[in-house]
Amino acid sequence: MADPAVASGGSLHLGGRGGSGSGGGGSGGKAATSPAENYYLARRRTLQVVVSALLTECGFESAEKAAVETLTEMMQSYISEIGRCAKAYCEHTARSLPTLPDTVVTLVEMGFNVDTLPVYAKRSQRMVITAPPVTNQPATPRALSAGQKRTHPSHIPSHFPEFPDPHTYIKTPTFREPVSDYQVVREKAASQRRDVERALTRFMAKTGETQSLFKDDVTAFPLIAARPTTIPYLSALLPSELELQTLEETDSSEQDDQTDSENATGNNISDDPGADKENSMLPPGGVAPAAKASEDNVIDNPYLRPVKKPKVRRKK
Amino acid sequence: MNRKKDKGFESPRPFKLTHQVVCINNINFQRKSVIGFVELTLFPTVVNLNRIKLNSKQCRIYRVRVNELEAPFIYNDPTLEVCHHESKQRNLNYFSSAYTAAVSAVDPDAGHGELVIKVPSELWKQGDDLKVLKVYIEFSLDQPKGGLHFVVPDVEGSMAERGAHVFSFGYQNSTRFWFPCVDSYSELCTWKLEFTVDASMIAVSCGDLVETIYTHDMRKKTFHYVLPIPTAAPNISLSVGPFEILVDPYMHEVTHFCLPQLLPLLKHSMSYLHEIFEFYEEILTCRYPYACFKTVFVDEAYVQVSSYASMSIFSTNLLHSAMIIDQTPQTRRCLAQALAQQFFGCFISRMSWADEWVLKGISGYIYGLYLKKTFGVNEYRHWIKEELDKIVDYELRMGGVLLHPTFSGGKEKDNPTPHLHFSIKHPHTLSWDYYKMFLCKAHLVMRLIENRISMEFMLQVFNKLLSLASTASSQKYQSHMWSQMLLSTHAFLKSISNVSGKDIGPLIKQWVDQSSVVKFFGSFAFNRKRNVLELEIRQDYTSAGTQKYVGPIKVTVQELDGSFNHTLQIEENSLKHDIPCHSKSRRNKKKKIPLMNGEEVDMDLSAMDADSPLLWIRIDPDMSILRKVEFEQADFMWQFQLRYERDVVAQEESISALEKFPTPASRLALTDILEQEQCFYKVRMQACFCLATIANAMVSTWQGPPAMKSLFTRMFCCKSCPNIVKTNNFINFQSYFLLKTMPVAMALLRDVQNLCPKDVLNFILDLIKYNDNRKNKFSDNYYRAELIEALTNSLTPAISISNEVRTVDNLNGDVRLILEEITRFLNMEKLLPSFRNTITVSCLKAVRQLQKNGHIPSDPSLFKSYAEYGHFVDVRVAALEALVDYTRVERCATELQWLLVMVQNDPTHYVRHKILGMLSKNPPFTKTSDSALCNEALVDQLWKLMNSGTSHDWRLRCDAVNLYYTLFGLTRPSCLPLPELGLVLNLKEKKAVLNPTIKPELGVGAGMDTAASIGIHGVGMSFTAVDEEPDPISLGVCGVGQPPQGLKRKAETPLGSPPEPGQILQQQDDDVRDVRGAGRYKIRFNTMEEEDIDMETVHDSQAFIHQHLNLLERPSTPGKEPLSVEQAMLSMPATPVPSFSKETTSSSSKHGGEHGGHHHHHHHHEHKKKKKKHKHKHKHKHKHESKEKERERDNSHAYSNSPASGRSLRSPSLSD
Repeated sequence: MADPAVASGGSLHLGGRGGSGSGGGGSGGKAATSPAENYYLARRRTLQVVVSALLTECGFESAEKAAVETLTEMMQSYISEIGRCAKAYCEHTARSLPTLPDTVVTLVEMGFNVDTLPVYAKRSQRMVITAPPVTNQPATPRALSAGQKRTHPSHIPSHFPEFPDPHTYIKTPTFREPVSDYQVVREKAASQRRDVERALTRFMAKTGETQSLFKDDVTAFPLIAARPTTIPYLSALLPSELELQTLEETDSSEQDDQTDSENATGNNISDDPGADKENSMLPPGGVAPAAKASEDNVIDNPYLRPVKKPKVRRKK
Repeated sequence: MNRKKDKGFESPRPFKLTHQVVCINNINFQRKSVIGFVELTLFPTVVNLNRIKLNSKQCRIYRVRVNELEAPFIYNDPTLEVCHHESKQRNLNYFSSAYTAAVSAVDPDAGHGELVIKVPSELWKQGDDLKVLKVYIEFSLDQPKGGLHFVVPDVEGSMAERGAHVFSFGYQNSTRFWFPCVDSYSELCTWKLEFTVDASMIAVSCGDLVETIYTHDMRKKTFHYVLPIPTAAPNISLSVGPFEILVDPYMHEVTHFCLPQLLPLLKHSMSYLHEIFEFYEEILTCRYPYACFKTVFVDEAYVQVSSYASMSIFSTNLLHSAMIIDQTPQTRRCLAQALAQQFFGCFISRMSWADEWVLKGISGYIYGLYLKKTFGVNEYRHWIKEELDKIVDYELRMGGVLLHPTFSGGKEKDNPTPHLHFSIKHPHTLSWDYYKMFLCKAHLVMRLIENRISMEFMLQVFNKLLSLASTASSQKYQSHMWSQMLLSTHAFLKSISNVSGKDIGPLIKQWVDQSSVVKFFGSFAFNRKRNVLELEIRQDYTSAGTQKYVGPIKVTVQELDGSFNHTLQIEENSLKHDIPCHSKSRRNKKKKIPLMNGEEVDMDLSAMDADSPLLWIRIDPDMSILRKVEFEQADFMWQFQLRYERDVVAQEESISALEKFPTPASRLALTDILEQEQCFYKVRMQACFCLATIANAMVSTWQGPPAMKSLFTRMFCCKSCPNIVKTNNFINFQSYFLLKTMPVAMALLRDVQNLCPKDVLNFILDLIKYNDNRKNKFSDNYYRAELIEALTNSLTPAISISNEVRTVDNLNGDVRLILEEITRFLNMEKLLPSFRNTITVSCLKAVRQLQKNGHIPSDPSLFKSYAEYGHFVDVRVAALEALVDYTRVERCATELQWLLVMVQNDPTHYVRHKILGMLSKNPPFTKTSDSALCNEALVDQLWKLMNSGTSHDWRLRCDAVNLYYTLFGLTRPSCLPLPELGLVLNLKEKKAVLNPTIKPELGVGAGMDTAASIGIHGVGMSFTAVDEEPDPISLGVCGVGQPPQGLKRKAETPLGSPPEPGQILQQQDDDVRDVRGAGRYKIRFNTMEEEDIDMETVHDSQAFIHQHLNLLERPSTPGKEPLSVEQAMLSMPATPVPSFSKETTSSSSKHGGEHGGHHHHHHHHEHKKKKKKHKHKHKHKHKHESKEKERERDNSHAYSNSPASGRSLRSPSLSD
């Protein structure tokens, strides 16, 4: 089970950051929000500088921002593609780091004449671009240290990926040991249910029409007004969906331990399967005539026979 | 007794019905109307069959044709308004006899009917060769108040989406409410039933569904049913609705129908029906007689179960899911009842009302066998004891229940049940409670017969009856054989004597031909010297509802050496019986004591009397007498009996006896039984309540925790924390029922201050608090409801300082806690309704109890809102019960009015019935107590209710009669103003003599009768009497054997003129109300020649017209008779014109009938005044005038005699 405290702490943390970031973004527009974003923005800015330099090299005096942006995009795509392909080649040959030949093959594959590259690199009018500002590699956010990081067992080669952070798989109980004293549990369950019921009925009584048993103080014991229904037998006979549902819901995890211990104390017949069976026997809402009908089709019962078409009346 | 000894069945009708077609073309849910026709095929059994009497109520009849010829008809229903509505007569005796007479007048078993059809004279000639007649009747029903019940929920959508449905219902033979028929159980015929309904609906009816065909526009479909087995009309039913269909997975010829969305419940509830089928077929060694069986579950059902030929209609509230425990056995019982009635009641029908007990008895008896098989012998014996207690209690309280009434000569004097305020001559005059007890007694008597002849023979008899009937039913074209399908008391008894060779005559005489039960008092002494038990059995046969028993009785004596049965003879004068004991009173030998069942047990005999070897004694242990036994034996004997007697009946008897012995020993015995898991759970439940009673009696000496507390803790609470109940697990039903019962019983405990002990209350509150049903596969709604009931039981009257108003502030602390729980439960129920809203029901009871005990202000508004239409029926009934109680306690006239208005207007028949029933059980006042509520207006209102307001529902009318009886008694209500003196002296009328104030208004005003045609006869009589002059017309009336009820509803006196000698005489004659009276007239006037058929036609068609005029004027209140109806006839009877009838028939002038009513009315007054003046002196003038009127009347009569014009008269309804 995931540790809810950790999870909620983490999300809170992120949320806080996100909140401040969006505040900054509101004023600056491109303002960096997170280390990762910073990193990518810096790269991009460098790329933009490169594109501008090339444009200047080609003799442009100025360029529209949109054009520069487009060219930057193209450049980035191109470089990305090279990288991707090179990585693919390298992995194809069961390596993890691309080598020069990988890149070369990639470039060839992309229709680039590799031979022209040295010449181009050594051209005279080449503009020197300052190194991109040093930005930190976006470190994966430091996971909360939870437990010991596991190392590979001996049979797993060390080059295999490391185990993820322990917090992703370690269960860290943060709640207190549940009260297992039967009496307290029953007491608690009973008063909790009573409180819920009372609150609910009071709410219903407050929001709707009421009847009162006392004339002097109509709020003392408010009774939800009796309202006639058009088909009273339905609600009185059918086990209400809500009833079945609440039966299931209240059965959920939190109470399990308690009921278990209670069963141990005396109630030794487990009727869980029975309860399930009963639920399946009584589908909520309870209409399954179609299924039944098809099943009964083999039976010759006059009520299941198709209704005949009227005979064509003879002309008189 | 003069039971009919003749073998065959004698039809009271001059024809035999062989086949009937019922075709309902149109069912309009919006308007709640039905249009259709019937066609009856009948064979005359006399030459010259000229009139056919059929039954039909509330149907509007458009035309009648006999063999394609238009036939005139008369429609007259005297039960619409039993007594003349202007009558000031208000005593129940009068009403009861009038009602009985009215019912008799249309009783199909006597060959009568509301609808009299005159066979066209062209067909008379045919009569000689007894040719078949086909009677075709077109009819419609508009907003029927009885017979058919429409349930149309008021929501959006098509009728099918709304779940609108309609079904037939009724108490006994009530089919006439929805189509014209011979509404008798003894007139069998084959059936063809056709129902055209909306394409989204399904029509379920009796017989085999042959085919379903769309109409030409494809928007409707027609269901064609054929019922080849001869069946009586009352066993025909119909239900139409958007049903979901479930073919029984075990028996494909059985189909179940329920309302939309309930299919899962239907599947579960019907999953064991096949077992019931198998059971009955096996014990009866007879296949189910019909080719198919259908169950239909409908809302707002009249009764929970009603059986018809090859189908049964149930209340939809019987359906339940697998989560529900308590409803399951109840539903199974209902199914078993319905199925038992399929064999006996539907397939085999009764010959007459007097034979009803046989069929109900047999079906109840085989139903009991099913109970024994399914629920076990303990449950069965418990049930028998329960039923026996019920019938004994009823008969001792209310007087005897007679299974087989015989009416010799139809004389009122022979009334076999003079103690009752209603007649048992007809099913339709019976009080519902009486009928239920009748059913109860019938099956108990069957069981007595079984005891006598053995079950094997009993089942052989049933098998024989069934085989006879099925042979007869297959005789397709031999309708005379069909009477074999009718069962009479005589045939049944003969069959028993043939099969078993035993004479059960005395038994039948004692329990069937005689009403009442036996009441024994037993006591004993042990004579040590002779080693003899001296048993004394006395009887009380003088008080109401008791009879003397002479014959054998079984006594079981448990001694130290074993259990011994003795059969004693109860004879006239022998009270004492000496029974020799087998064992000496030596107890030093420590040996086990053998019980009746062979078991040997150790007992602690220290409590016992050292001299006596007797452990316990039981009188009639097998319940083979319908009796109540009050037996005296020592407390330790009862305790032994409780602990060691294995029969549940004995255990229950000892528990009720132990209530009188509040000792620690009793407490111990009860506690031991409570803890014993082998013991039958209902005994343990009863022990809980007994323990509470004992604990209260011992309150000053009680040691230890409150009764049952530690027991409950041990059984149901957690080991680790004894104050908390285990989470619910109802897998063990015995402990479930005990879990439910114990808190309820504990809440009845009281401390020395007569308050519920604090720790008991807290205990119950904790049970509620810690109730946890999450892990339970069953619903806990019944358990929670019982916990609320426990809270209710814990309430004690508030200590009130003066009569201050109850406020929140001065609420007692404990009550505040209780109230909080109730509030929360009630509110939660709105959000999460429980099955059948059991919790709301309990909460409403609790609120009423709080009010009654003065904790919260007594206020009916909450109950009123829950009693409204639209709540679940159980909730409504609970709310109404609270209101009835409120009405009684607060003597509140407005609430009583509110209830009575609901009785008149509520759409649900069951609720109306229930209100009247509850009012009778818990009346706001009684005949013996004075109350401000008892006033003239209320008398009038109730009178109106039973007189005309409930004519559409037999059961409801009888309920109203019951209530009237409870409130006012048989005689004139005391709150009515004293009548004027000097008017009364009616010596002939015995009942009147009993109370001279009964009939104050008699003897004045000649001939002011306003009833329908029956009233006319009465008038006729009165005139003849006054004039002492032969009157052909009244003679005609009597000669035809017209019901005499008209006779006694004569002569009311709106004018209040002083009496004259002649009028008193007239009164006396008028009062003749039975056949005897009519017979006297007959004799007196039998010199006159008269064509009575024509005369009658004249009479009745007159009434018919008026009734129709009335219908047109006030179609919504058919029960009310128009003033004008009969007045036209007034002059008629007084007219001694011999040629009158010819005149009538020959009269062909087509006068406009439209103005008839007013016209006659006018004349009537004129005439009356004149008559008063000249009654004796101016006879001739009088006659002359009368003749004039006669003519007028004839005009209107002629008009009704023509079917064509008759139809035009009724055209407004046709155009509907």
